[in-house]
Amino acid sequence: MKNKKLLNKTTNSFLAYAIIILLIAAPLFYFICQQLYIYETDEVLHFHKGAFIKESHKDFTQTDIDLWNKYNNEVMIVPDMGVSSDSIVGKILYDSIAKEKEPFRVLYAPVNINGKRYTYTEKINLLEMEGMVFSIAAMFLFIIIVLLIGIIWISKATAAKIWSPFYNTLNQIQDFEIDKNKPPRFISTDIDEFDRLNKSLERLIEKNTVIYKSQREFVENAAHELQTPLALFQTKIDTLTQLDLNEQQSSLVASLNMDVSRLNRLNKNLLLLSKIDNESFLEKNTIVLNDYIKKHLDFFTEQANAKNLTIITQFTSTLSITGNLALTEVLINNLFLNAIRHNEKNGKIIITTLENELIFLNSGQNTSLKIEKLFNRFSKTNPSSQGNGLGLAIIKKITELNRWKISYTFDNNLHSFSVKF
Amino acid sequence: MKILIIEDEPEIAQSIKNYFRTNGIQCETAENYDLALSKIESYDYDCILLDLMLPDGDGFDILRELKRKNKTDGVIVVSAKETLETRLEGFNLGADDYLTKPFHLSELLVRMQALIRRKNFKGCNSITFNEIVIDIFSKSVTVNTIKLDLTKKELDLLLFLIGNENKVLSKSAIAEHLSGDMADMLDNHDFIYAHIKNLKKKLHQAGSSDYIKTVYGLGYKWENEE
Repeated sequence: MKNKKLLNKTTNSFLAYAIIILLIAAPLFYFICQQLYIYETDEVLHFHKGAFIKESHKDFTQTDIDLWNKYNNEVMIVPDMGVSSDSIVGKILYDSIAKEKEPFRVLYAPVNINGKRYTYTEKINLLEMEGMVFSIAAMFLFIIIVLLIGIIWISKATAAKIWSPFYNTLNQIQDFEIDKNKPPRFISTDIDEFDRLNKSLERLIEKNTVIYKSQREFVENAAHELQTPLALFQTKIDTLTQLDLNEQQSSLVASLNMDVSRLNRLNKNLLLLSKIDNESFLEKNTIVLNDYIKKHLDFFTEQANAKNLTIITQFTSTLSITGNLALTEVLINNLFLNAIRHNEKNGKIIITTLENELIFLNSGQNTSLKIEKLFNRFSKTNPSSQGNGLGLAIIKKITELNRWKISYTFDNNLHSFSVKF
Repeated sequence: MKILIIEDEPEIAQSIKNYFRTNGIQCETAENYDLALSKIESYDYDCILLDLMLPDGDGFDILRELKRKNKTDGVIVVSAKETLETRLEGFNLGADDYLTKPFHLSELLVRMQALIRRKNFKGCNSITFNEIVIDIFSKSVTVNTIKLDLTKKELDLLLFLIGNENKVLSKSAIAEHLSGDMADMLDNHDFIYAHIKNLKKKLHQAGSSDYIKTVYGLGYKWENEE
């Protein structure tokens, strides 16, 4: 489900409420207005009848009644229709002026004129009501709509203002990365909850940054501290190498030698990682990657010869990038050595430079590597390999630092590592 | 030849001392700042190996002191610190070379020899080993006046072997020496075999004795037969 924005959510319920109110209010309003108008009309009818009885009818003769009926259209005195009390009914009658059928209210009341029973009838056209009720209803509806729009708009505006510290905090946290930026600075707010939120976040970030830093320092310190025992180890092995050794001892010392250089490499890689973390490589230069690869091709070819690998370079365009020289070199060396290390005998390596992309293709195992953990520290696809599981982590770190993009694909039995600059 | 090893780790100092002694180098050691200063003041050394982190002082202060006294002793900084900044500061303060711990004793030895050669350079800069003459300046090698056609790596290898005369050099030490800055990346040292083979062949063709001996499993040795 798509997430809604907080502000929209509150105004949405406002809007829904407003629409419901409108839908109910419109007919209700119309109905009530109509009833009120009919009530008023009936009052008028009663009043007219009352006036008629009080003022004029007492000394009416039959001639007067005929005359009255002749000149009056609305009020008629007709022979007794058998009504015993006043009654008002709504009727649809033909209107001679408008020349069509229209709604009327008609009053029937019994009257006594000169001792004779008559029925007093009066009708009032309700035509005016239609228009009036409609305009009243329209006016009220208009007012309600304006009111609602106003309420919604004001609530939205004030809500946006009220929530603005929250959004500010949200944006800052979104951009925050513990290993990169400075801690966020939240704007101060007079709303208690937001203030608490900011303070808690500040505390959380501060604490985590301290932990992160000390962990980073720990790695760096540990790597540094390891250098002295490693140096002791190395010099002692060198000394041991000079002794008169038999074959078994020689091969032991030889393998110790391999171990110590592996340890050394691991340690240097850890140091490199923590140095990248500590932003020791800020200086940037323009580097032409083609040139660097060409320059060191001999070294890598030498390394590749042990596996009898074929190295093909396809420099389709000059790839010139901006980055830290030392790190870029490490990046390319790692990519290159990876392609050699994980290759098979008589395999091949294809290096391609595009306008803003560097691709290393290499043969090797016939299945794709698992991408999820590929770039994690110490994740090794082949536990027996000579690599220390830091090469790709370093590559990843360098690309992240420079906002480059590293990706791995497996196609046509070739492993492909591509860096987009 | 006399050198001073300023190193607070006595075992490392001792290992260096033992390794260098058989190559005719006299080593003195100083395990702290004060002792180092007093030795520097009293004697002149061909080369000083300087550890930057001393228990009672900063190695850089020793460099400053040497500079102040206009001492011309060659200095190789040997340190666990590896940042570019410390390197540059070391060079700015007059260090001649910089080696990061851990290191191979063989590497330290050839670096020191190269430093002393540079310091003592008097128009001619060549190394002679029996019938082999290496001109460092023109990078040419002759065996009984026959000029050898060596690649840069082979020349480097030859210098490394001769410099560590009669010492067993492990494959990793040779590989790391030949790879220079790339040494940290290496996980396979077998490539040196091809270089050794080629060098051996070229020396042999020029009529040189076979000085390069293979030490089973371990590496190689430049053996002076006398």
